[in-house]
Amino acid sequence: MAAIAIPHPPPAAPRRRLSSWQTWGVIMLMPYILVFLVFVLYPVTYGLWLARHPQSYRTLFEDPVFFRTVVNTIVFLLVAVNLKFLLALFLSGFFVHERRWIRWLSVIFIIPWAVPAIPTIFSIRFMLNPEWGIVNSLIFRLTGADGPNWLNDPTLALSMAMLVHIWKALPFWTLILMAGRLAIPREQYEAASVDGATAWQKFKYVTWPSIRTLYLTSTLLSMIWTLGDFNSVYLLTGGGPADLTHVLATLGIRYIRLDQVDQAMTTIVVALPFVLPLVYFMMKRLSVDE
Amino acid sequence: MREARLWLIAIPILLWTLLPIYHIFLFSISTKDSAFSGALWPAKPTLHNFGTVFRQEHFYLHDFWHQIWNSVWIACATGVLTLVVATTAAFAISRLKVKGGRVVMNAALFTYFIPAAFLAVPMYKAMGTYGLLNNRWSLVLAMVTLASPYAIWVLKQASDRLPWELDEAARIDGATPLQLFHLVYLPLMMPSLVAIGTYALLLAWNEYLYAFLLLSNNIPLAVGLGHFLASDDSPWELLMATALIYAVPPAAIYYAFRRYMVGGLTAGAVKT
Amino acid sequence: MATVAFREVHKSFGATKVLHGISLDIAEGEFVVLVGPSGCGKSTLLRMLAGLEDIGGGQIAIDGRVVNDVDSKDRDIAMVFQSYALYPHMTVRDNMGFSLKLRKEKQNLIDQRVANAAKILNLEPYLARYPRELSGGQRQRVAMGRAIVRDPKVFLFDEPLSNLDAKLRVAMRAEIKALHQRLKTTTVYVTHDQIEAMTMADRIAVMRDGRIEQLGEPLELYDRPANLFVAQFIGSPAMNVFDGTIRNGSVEALGSRWPTAVRGAEGQQVKYGVRPEHLEPAASGIAAQIIVVEPMGAETELVVKIADATLTVMTRGRSSAGPGERIFLAPQASHAHLFDAATGLRIQPP
Repeated sequence: MAAIAIPHPPPAAPRRRLSSWQTWGVIMLMPYILVFLVFVLYPVTYGLWLARHPQSYRTLFEDPVFFRTVVNTIVFLLVAVNLKFLLALFLSGFFVHERRWIRWLSVIFIIPWAVPAIPTIFSIRFMLNPEWGIVNSLIFRLTGADGPNWLNDPTLALSMAMLVHIWKALPFWTLILMAGRLAIPREQYEAASVDGATAWQKFKYVTWPSIRTLYLTSTLLSMIWTLGDFNSVYLLTGGGPADLTHVLATLGIRYIRLDQVDQAMTTIVVALPFVLPLVYFMMKRLSVDE
Repeated sequence: MREARLWLIAIPILLWTLLPIYHIFLFSISTKDSAFSGALWPAKPTLHNFGTVFRQEHFYLHDFWHQIWNSVWIACATGVLTLVVATTAAFAISRLKVKGGRVVMNAALFTYFIPAAFLAVPMYKAMGTYGLLNNRWSLVLAMVTLASPYAIWVLKQASDRLPWELDEAARIDGATPLQLFHLVYLPLMMPSLVAIGTYALLLAWNEYLYAFLLLSNNIPLAVGLGHFLASDDSPWELLMATALIYAVPPAAIYYAFRRYMVGGLTAGAVKT
Repeated sequence: MATVAFREVHKSFGATKVLHGISLDIAEGEFVVLVGPSGCGKSTLLRMLAGLEDIGGGQIAIDGRVVNDVDSKDRDIAMVFQSYALYPHMTVRDNMGFSLKLRKEKQNLIDQRVANAAKILNLEPYLARYPRELSGGQRQRVAMGRAIVRDPKVFLFDEPLSNLDAKLRVAMRAEIKALHQRLKTTTVYVTHDQIEAMTMADRIAVMRDGRIEQLGEPLELYDRPANLFVAQFIGSPAMNVFDGTIRNGSVEALGSRWPTAVRGAEGQQVKYGVRPEHLEPAASGIAAQIIVVEPMGAETELVVKIADATLTVMTRGRSSAGPGERIFLAPQASHAHLFDAATGLRIQPP
């Protein structure tokens, strides 16, 4: 049964027989490609083109609101995001306890994230009303003194906006860190217990090394998203009092409302040197496991 | 002792989580007078506010049913369109291994990481150019743009976990790419599709910023709620009643599909 | 039924060449097993025949028709996968009938073919079940049923028994062989398990590093391995092999003289190979020290030491010997295999 040897086999034909699979692949990719081109690439390119005038930047930097906005944004990112993650780290440790009632509590705990932003933020806004809000009513009833004018003081108002942000986003990140904690093999804790580790030592030597990467990645991702958190500030303070609680997201939209789209785009472009490295870093992280 | 410590953490969590929610509820069952008294429970709880809302008996509520309809329409259209766009893309990238799939995946991830409020500005301008401003489709398309990157990413992860041999078996059995898609792929992806459909639907229903930028008449309920802030003497009790009506459907849907949602969301996260 | 021909088939993954020009002709109704260690290219070759992998160079023909550019579905083949690859959302019946449904066959024809295949494979009680409700062996049979229903020109098996436990594997081995004897469909079967190859094949192709090392009937490979690799790959426990030198018509190795039928050049460096069952203890011969005794009931395996080499000895029946004892081995010249020390090729006796 000798093989029929062909001395020089012809080069393989181009992948004709796979072509229908590739063709269909391209066809099925088309809807998203269209969405991306029409609603991301074109708008972004056009937007960058709108922000090309140096004059826009001069105007922006001269806008007294702008400097305050940048400071607010940085404070918001550093304080709100880190506070949120410290809380999430702590609470994820609480919610991994195996109790039936803790499972129920975790179901309730997720509500802020599951419901839309407007109703709850408005609700908090009314709670903080200095005259008839429930917060100041309680303060008056307990101490006999008037509570502060929460949303009329820039510092207090921005703090409250951060609190709203944390209230809304905390459940999601707690859930993420919880999943990270649950992925740690139980044997590691059992081994640590046998070795006589205290609760703090278990956290330091078992939990933290395992979820550190997740924690840092999540923090960065949350910073990017928090930069786009329009609702927490706008729906609570509207940027006030006297435009002193704006962040970049609300400032951009404020310019749109004033019909200054170029100015709005310029505001965003100013943030890009900060955003793009983070986006690049996140994309590298996520494409590792592809 | 340990149990007591757990409760000590649990009670503040419970108060912190529920207080703003309870406050909505409290307002919505209060009369106008008792709403502003600062009481923790109204003297005479009433469902009157809901009646007013349903009968559209206030200036701010003239379009209530129309706005609800718009919200439903926009949410459903977004859910369906996102499913179509994301499922086909994930299938092409993950199962057909289409050339350039990686580039498209990266483009999607890039979109996913742009802060939403930042994309809103150029999107607003572009929708103007397309002549879509004030058209419900503009919001639907914007929401599909925002929802599909994450949808594609989650669906790709899920479909990467399907055994590759199934596709090969189907190919040998004589399936065309389309037959593979609807006879094998879609049935196996059902749980993820439910999660993604729900995700897009909720995203669209809950959206405020894009809605109020892109639509100024023919608005969904979210923007309608925002209009209450136009004056200082707005009927807060009616606003809270409407807000409650607005908040319940997404919460209900979320809890109904929670087991799909939580799994899908966290599965992707832990991998990073 | 059909012939299959591979002609100078090449394949590379990037810069790595995985197949270096494979040529192989398979006759109608033949059961050919491709066997070799993992990474030898056997699965790639099968997948190229199935149309799941592009053919890098050369040709593959089924029934005389070159199929390089033919889509899987038009090659008229059926394949059984290691993981079974059953569609989890379809019943056994739908799984088996899926290919016919895709070809838009009439429902009563599908039902009839499925019923027929189910009868052959004893799957009749399970037709309405889903794959997750079946045991491993049953799933394996469904996968075979899916192949049978199509009545293809060629059956392809890709390590179909690897996911089964040892006992079931033996049973399924016999089932597949019986099935082939009944249907007489040309079959290409890939495995890394030489016992499967030996027990099932009409002919075996032993592969290594993208080349066929030897092609032949099972016992031919066992009795006359073409080179050292085949000699040590086929047979369990493996052949004993050690270095030696030809002196006066026998081989000097491990401080003893070993008989051979080969007439080699005086002083030639060789590898001397002898299978464990051909090293039975005798009253006199080459002295060896027992290290381990492994009784298996019908036979006993002895691990022995001669000089500094460890050899395996297989004896029929029981052995009363214990560790540390000395025994004598008397190998026969007709059972000795000699290989060139440099090339590893078999030196054929006259």
